[in-house]
Amino acid sequence: MQKLKIPFLAISFFVLISCASHKVVDGYTNKTPETKVYNAPYFSNLETDYVYKANITIYGNELTGIFIAKKIDEATHRVVFTTEFGNKLIDVEVSENDFKVNSIVSELDRKIVINTLEADFRLLLRKQYTVQEQLENFENTVYMSVEGKLFNYVFTSKSDGKLLKIVQTSDRKEKINLSFTSENNIFAQRILITHQNIKLKIEFNYFKP
Amino acid sequence: MLMKTRLLLLLWGIFGLSSIAQEQKMTAAETIAFKQNVNAVSNKIKTLSNDFVQFKHMDFLSKDIETSGKMSFKEPNLLLWQYKKPYNYSIVFKNGKILINDEGKKSAVDIGNSKIFAKLNKLIIGSVSGNLFDDKEFDISYVKIKGQNVARLNPKDAALKKYIRQIELTFDKEDFTVTQVKLLESADDYTRIVLKNKVLNAKIEDSFFSN
Repeated sequence: MQKLKIPFLAISFFVLISCASHKVVDGYTNKTPETKVYNAPYFSNLETDYVYKANITIYGNELTGIFIAKKIDEATHRVVFTTEFGNKLIDVEVSENDFKVNSIVSELDRKIVINTLEADFRLLLRKQYTVQEQLENFENTVYMSVEGKLFNYVFTSKSDGKLLKIVQTSDRKEKINLSFTSENNIFAQRILITHQNIKLKIEFNYFKP
Repeated sequence: MLMKTRLLLLLWGIFGLSSIAQEQKMTAAETIAFKQNVNAVSNKIKTLSNDFVQFKHMDFLSKDIETSGKMSFKEPNLLLWQYKKPYNYSIVFKNGKILINDEGKKSAVDIGNSKIFAKLNKLIIGSVSGNLFDDKEFDISYVKIKGQNVARLNPKDAALKKYIRQIELTFDKEDFTVTQVKLLESADDYTRIVLKNKVLNAKIEDSFFSN
């Protein structure tokens, strides 16, 4: 893990000084927002145990296990990551303003890991996005929401309204990309989380508990 | 406040009594006989195969997470653990290495000098073969629950304790092999593995333990 820290820092620094901008909504046109709030459909049911097989690739290293998310009250999700044998690696509670670590194995107990997971989980589990801008092209409607110094672009399908992906950018440079595959727009069968500034890829495949 | 405390004490009393009613500590003589029986059976195990169903329990979930598959063991330390539902994932413990096959994606971890992995390895193999009554490594208590023999092992090693608070092994009444392994992280968080369709001492080649 210590070895990972240096590339993490080096790459973060590179990203900071880099001034190239990546427009995630190139070719889209602005539209007057039709709604003030976009409600994300996934992970929103209090009754459902959201259980996924997880594959994590971090700087070429593979980590697999089971990802579990459960909405425990209107504002909070409990998120647990275990090995296939059931040993708990990470157990956290995530809400809009709070991130509580219930337990984490020492191998993963690094500030950079925790901060990354906090950002990813919050984006993945967020219920509502305040819409500041609305954009569209032939296929998609995009809702843009400002979060401090960051921008969240929520891509939905025009034909069936499905949430397709969420891209978080800083100063219009892509940081986190969440893409979803869903049959019914109620839960996502497959979720792919990629990072542009660190070599981290997380894949979740739903399995019925 | 006082009312609440009284109610809690009452509930605690009821549950405390009911757990005593279901559970009985083995006598010293019973413990000795039980250990002898288990050791005799465990010494005779050359190979062992089981189907298993694994239940991951956490109090906040509405339902346990269920996975299932097949495990195979060959004396002294070859172990293949295969999940078949709802995903294909298998893990082999062999010559100080862990070989993983995740839906066709293969990887290996060298556990060579890792003391904690060696202990975990020994623990897993000991759990399925029943050969785990090491007083140096564990504080062990022996109880009878509804006529079944149960051994509860609490690791003494601080590093191991971080992963597993207690291992509870349930044994078959008749043949003294392990029928259930319960790995407790805390009271409201445990993994329960039920072993069934046991096949003892069938011929299994070493090459079967690959991934």
